[in-house]
Amino acid sequence: MKRGDVVGVVGAGAFGTALASVLARAGKRVLLWSRDPEVVSSINTRRVCSRLPGAPLPPPLEATADPRRLAADARFLVMAVSSTDVRERARELGAVLDGSHIVVHAIGALAAPTNERVSEVMQLGLPTLKLGVLAGPALPQDLAEGEFSSMVVASVFDEVVAEARRLLNAPPVLRLYGSKDLAGVELASALSGAYTVALGLSDGLGMGAGPRAVLVTRAVAEATRLVVAAGGQAKTFAGLSGLGNLLVRATDKSADYQLGRRLADGVITADSARTEGARAALAGAGLAKQLKARMPVLMGVAAVLSGKAEVREVATLIGDSVATEE
Amino acid sequence: MASDRPVREAENRLERFNADRERLLAEVERRVVARRVGEARAGGDASLEYVLNDVAYCEIKRLESKNGAADRWRDLSRRLMTMSDDEKQQELRELVRHYGKDVVGNFDPRVYKFATGVGPSLLNLVFSPMTTVRQGWAALTNLDQRIAADGEVDIARACAERGTIVVTPTHSSNMDSPAIGFGLMRAGLPPTTYGAGKNLFTNPFISFFMRNLGAYRVDRRLKFELYKDVLKEYSTVLLEHGYHSLFFPGGTRSRSNLVEYHLKLGLLGTTVTAYKNLVREGKPNKRLYIVPATINYRLVLEAETLIDDYLAETGKNRYIITDDEFSRIGRIVEFFRKILAHEGSVIVRFGRPLDPFGNDITDDGESIDRAGRIVDPASYVRGADGEVTDDDQRDAEYTRALGRRLVQVYPKLTVFHSTQLLARVLYDELARRAGTRDIYRLLRIAECSVPVETALAGLERLRARLAAHPEWGSEHPHYAHQTAAEKLDDAVRGLSTYHTQPAVVRTGDVLDLADKKLIYYYQNRTAHIPPEVS
Repeated sequence: MKRGDVVGVVGAGAFGTALASVLARAGKRVLLWSRDPEVVSSINTRRVCSRLPGAPLPPPLEATADPRRLAADARFLVMAVSSTDVRERARELGAVLDGSHIVVHAIGALAAPTNERVSEVMQLGLPTLKLGVLAGPALPQDLAEGEFSSMVVASVFDEVVAEARRLLNAPPVLRLYGSKDLAGVELASALSGAYTVALGLSDGLGMGAGPRAVLVTRAVAEATRLVVAAGGQAKTFAGLSGLGNLLVRATDKSADYQLGRRLADGVITADSARTEGARAALAGAGLAKQLKARMPVLMGVAAVLSGKAEVREVATLIGDSVATEE
Repeated sequence: MASDRPVREAENRLERFNADRERLLAEVERRVVARRVGEARAGGDASLEYVLNDVAYCEIKRLESKNGAADRWRDLSRRLMTMSDDEKQQELRELVRHYGKDVVGNFDPRVYKFATGVGPSLLNLVFSPMTTVRQGWAALTNLDQRIAADGEVDIARACAERGTIVVTPTHSSNMDSPAIGFGLMRAGLPPTTYGAGKNLFTNPFISFFMRNLGAYRVDRRLKFELYKDVLKEYSTVLLEHGYHSLFFPGGTRSRSNLVEYHLKLGLLGTTVTAYKNLVREGKPNKRLYIVPATINYRLVLEAETLIDDYLAETGKNRYIITDDEFSRIGRIVEFFRKILAHEGSVIVRFGRPLDPFGNDITDDGESIDRAGRIVDPASYVRGADGEVTDDDQRDAEYTRALGRRLVQVYPKLTVFHSTQLLARVLYDELARRAGTRDIYRLLRIAECSVPVETALAGLERLRARLAAHPEWGSEHPHYAHQTAAEKLDDAVRGLSTYHTQPAVVRTGDVLDLADKKLIYYYQNRTAHIPPEVS
């Protein structure tokens, strides 16, 4: 198989494994990179990945711990690591990539501690400028089970979008839309995790369908304000990466949603580093302050997560922050 | 920088330009015609009929008011419907040649020798205010104190030895062309070819030098795609053949005098194209280097017109100004006499070169990524199997990335004269009193005087802030030792002597802000420095 037809997946976590599984089942050659030799060995010999044990990993899929091999065999890479690791992984991979590689990330968060978008952080570590983001309502478990999913890939480079759609489209399980709004999709994807925590809080407090609907629509409105202030497009948050992500995550399958519910139930106390959505809420609140965007819901979630406010107190404050115009 | 030859004054490749000219033109013609004929197979907007009609339509529109001038284009428009494919191709070839000849420059080594040798001294003698023979002799020998150059000149020179440099200065005056020309000479850098607006060639004095120093003409009135094709291809071919070039990435003069933060980029995109072509020809080590530069004037020749234009709503869209100070020879003479007479009145600062993709380079001219690792620049234009790929959208993004780097670098390379520093201090004081920095509101304020004591204290604070933030730029090195009082006197002298109305007048212990628009104009050079926190 030609190098241009190989997909390199960086990170054998739940999403990376699920994506690799979908692509391999569609007959595409996938090279999955993990730093952990045991994970690599398990995938290559037993066809199992401990982070997503139920995912089928048929032979076109191979795992490797050798970054040089990954760079040599695949020109197109998907970065599927956590937002806390992305800086280090980019730096590590940067040593073996060159300007011809294409790297899209599937990280729905902003990078701590600077609140930068993930592509901005990757740019500091990677030599290539051809970067993109992959986002949307595709949960790892659903992908592994072959449920229909759609995602959006965004980049300022047409070539990145075209290559992602060529290589990652695996109908009927995975269909890809394209966008040029890199900043908007990255932010929407990150913020949707934060609002998933908010929905968990709301449901945990036993609020009804009405308040839930208000919360979702206010989330769309205020997230759009931040996306636009950061240079993205107004329509983006209402798409797959924002609203789509939010709707799919607001179930018990999502760690962000579970975090919100447990906080509301008083089972756990505030812990800002617990999930990607929680980290995105804090980073998004920082960015909103910086860009002077009015975001009462996000600020409320951030206040709860950082232990500065009680859940019920915030719910009241958000309710009282009604603006004159919708 | 590793080189077989020791780094010395870089080679003047323009000396071979005249011998090369026909070959370059033929190459431009061959490429543009081949591309257009190839694209025409897709039909529609790419068809030769459409391309030729676009030329005819634009030319008729431009020339219809001139008696008979549009006849040739009306005739073409009529014939198009009945022309065979061969005839259309022939017409295309002739048009490409016609516009190529209109664009192409010249380089006269004799003029260069004059301009860089006897010329400056002679001009200096003619234009300097002198009252004694001694002053006259001094004027002959100290031009380099008037147009100074500094910055990363050693590495820029080494890059010019190793590859081809593309100088990308900020643009604030029509005097920029001669100023950067002398700046390059002062820095020991080779002369460059560059595209200059055709309107600049209407000034006979400047035109003579520009025509013979490698400038080629850019006619902004010609809006059709074929002309842009010819222009871009010409620039690309020049770069591929190793001719050092110069582009003003801001596109036009900064009307506001702000350090450019939004670049039009224009011909800068030809750098990526030229390098891609070189890689395809198997010459990836024939490197291109982008050398950022700022041209910093103590006073700007056209300041009054430019700021009027900027502040007038209707003027914001005026791209070509034909009636400014540059069109009046008397003002140019005044400029030389009163502005260039001042030591270090123009300073060109060169920055560290970048590669065409916005990457930094090592002292050896190798590209390095943001993490400081060496990266092969050829890889940016290669596909999955190492083949060179054509992708205009990708290349445009690369050029935008380069533009973002230039915009980051310019403030740091800005050199402040006393005029800009005092203007900033006075503007800050005015804004503090009014509670706004909005120029339109400040212009309506009647009371406009600032005590000298307040201005001196403001200058002290501004200079201290500048020293603590090198990323904002720096004071003119020749005058960094001045006391605040000397700095203020120097600024008042400058701001009250050249412009038709003094911008600032000192009466005893008070400074009167006689022209707030000019104060605004000069302070704008410092606008990237955040307001002082009280």
